[in-house]
Amino acid sequence: MDLVRFFTLRLRSPAAAEDLVQDIYLRLSGLAPSIEIQNLTAYLYRLGSNLMLDRLRGERRSANRDGAWLDSETTRVGSQEISAEPSAETAIAARQRLALLTEALKELSPQTQRVFRMHKFAGLSHPEVAAAIGISRSAVEKHMMIALKHLLARLP
Amino acid sequence: MGLMIETNENLNDGRVAEVAAGWFVRLQGEVATADDWLAFELWLQASSEHAQAYERLEGLWIDLEYASLAKDLEGRPITAARQRPGHRRASRAVRRRVWMGAISAIAASVAVAVGVGVWSAGIATQTYQTPAGRTQDITLADGTRIQMNAASKITVSLGRDARRVQMADAEAVFDVTHDARRPFLISVGDQQVRVVGTEFNLRHRADLVDLTVRRGVVEVRPANALDATPRRVAVGQELTHSTGDRSSFLRVSDPDQVFAWTHGQLIYRDQPLLDVAADLSRRFATPVRTADAQAAALRFSGVLVTDNEPDVLRRLEAFAPVRVERVGAEIILHHR
Repeated sequence: MDLVRFFTLRLRSPAAAEDLVQDIYLRLSGLAPSIEIQNLTAYLYRLGSNLMLDRLRGERRSANRDGAWLDSETTRVGSQEISAEPSAETAIAARQRLALLTEALKELSPQTQRVFRMHKFAGLSHPEVAAAIGISRSAVEKHMMIALKHLLARLP
Repeated sequence: MGLMIETNENLNDGRVAEVAAGWFVRLQGEVATADDWLAFELWLQASSEHAQAYERLEGLWIDLEYASLAKDLEGRPITAARQRPGHRRASRAVRRRVWMGAISAIAASVAVAVGVGVWSAGIATQTYQTPAGRTQDITLADGTRIQMNAASKITVSLGRDARRVQMADAEAVFDVTHDARRPFLISVGDQQVRVVGTEFNLRHRADLVDLTVRRGVVEVRPANALDATPRRVAVGQELTHSTGDRSSFLRVSDPDQVFAWTHGQLIYRDQPLLDVAADLSRRFATPVRTADAQAAALRFSGVLVTDNEPDVLRRLEAFAPVRVERVGAEIILHHR
């Protein structure tokens, strides 16, 4: 495995990738030795991907004052700087995007909504969602895919 | 500037989005292997469109969190503490039948120590209370062990026909001795738990009851419907109930995570910082709170060894995008 290569691809910057991989190992050292990690390699990829999501969250948040979103089209997952003050148009676009997302979620079938809500908003893992409503794990994945695909399609 | 995927009129866009969604879901599923990640890397490499579709999904994933903070799909506000029912709260196991005749009593009794173990006289009641920052181990006269977490209060009555516990705002591990003649009954929130000899963690904080079983089986039912069919909670399961709700929530759980507090650890898996702050406030004398909604909603994963407060906070700063501020007699966690 080559974490730096992978995250360079994702972040489009070798420096940012190395920085992230450092972060991964820092996190790892914080875990108690008693915690057993199955499949360490996959775990490292996932940890790094979650860290990327955390950073993206941070970027959106710091760019997002007064509850207005930064339009995702000006956000990059990579290392680009983001302007701190959203314009009025951006704020309106952000609100429209939120409204659109909320609407799009309601268009899903009740079962898909349920699965999506449990995983995304209640924070249950796929197996936990599967156990809670008595469907298979692959069915959970299918519902999640349907939901994401629909949301992507509905957004401009 | 716009994302490239928007400027690309390729008819394959829908297909790419679908594959990207497939990857996103699979890689979040915790069953992804190293080979999956490698295959994903190859897919990303194959076209810049792929990477952009994936980034678009990630952006969507985060934007949804704003939607969830605003309100859930049924229009009911979601608090951060509620977003992940699961981790720790309390519930109650009930064993039913036997108790139907002998309820009453305890509900409102908050009597103070009359003496323990005098069960020939009927009921002896003892209240145990731990302050923030102190846990306590108790052994009852029947041999039952109760490990009380900090900032907890319970009342115990060992009666001739039943052993009863009233659980106020509290978290504790119960290791209950078997005594078929005297069921062990716990009142917690609007639920009742009946135990016959098992080990479990029961947590009652705010309006949430959470029960995790490490050995045996525990039964839970609403306090006002003791003839209802109980929910059975088995080893490795966790039941969460929100006071006032008509239903409870059962899920697979990791007892080691839930029991971690008994050996000086707090374990989190993608949990809001709000929960971490609440746990630390109970664990240590100095209250800890989150600065605002953004800090409260911050997700944290990791193990905190709770040896002493300054060290714990230092570690938290190292592993989470958090800045610790000390103001007077409290500690405030900011998102940074």
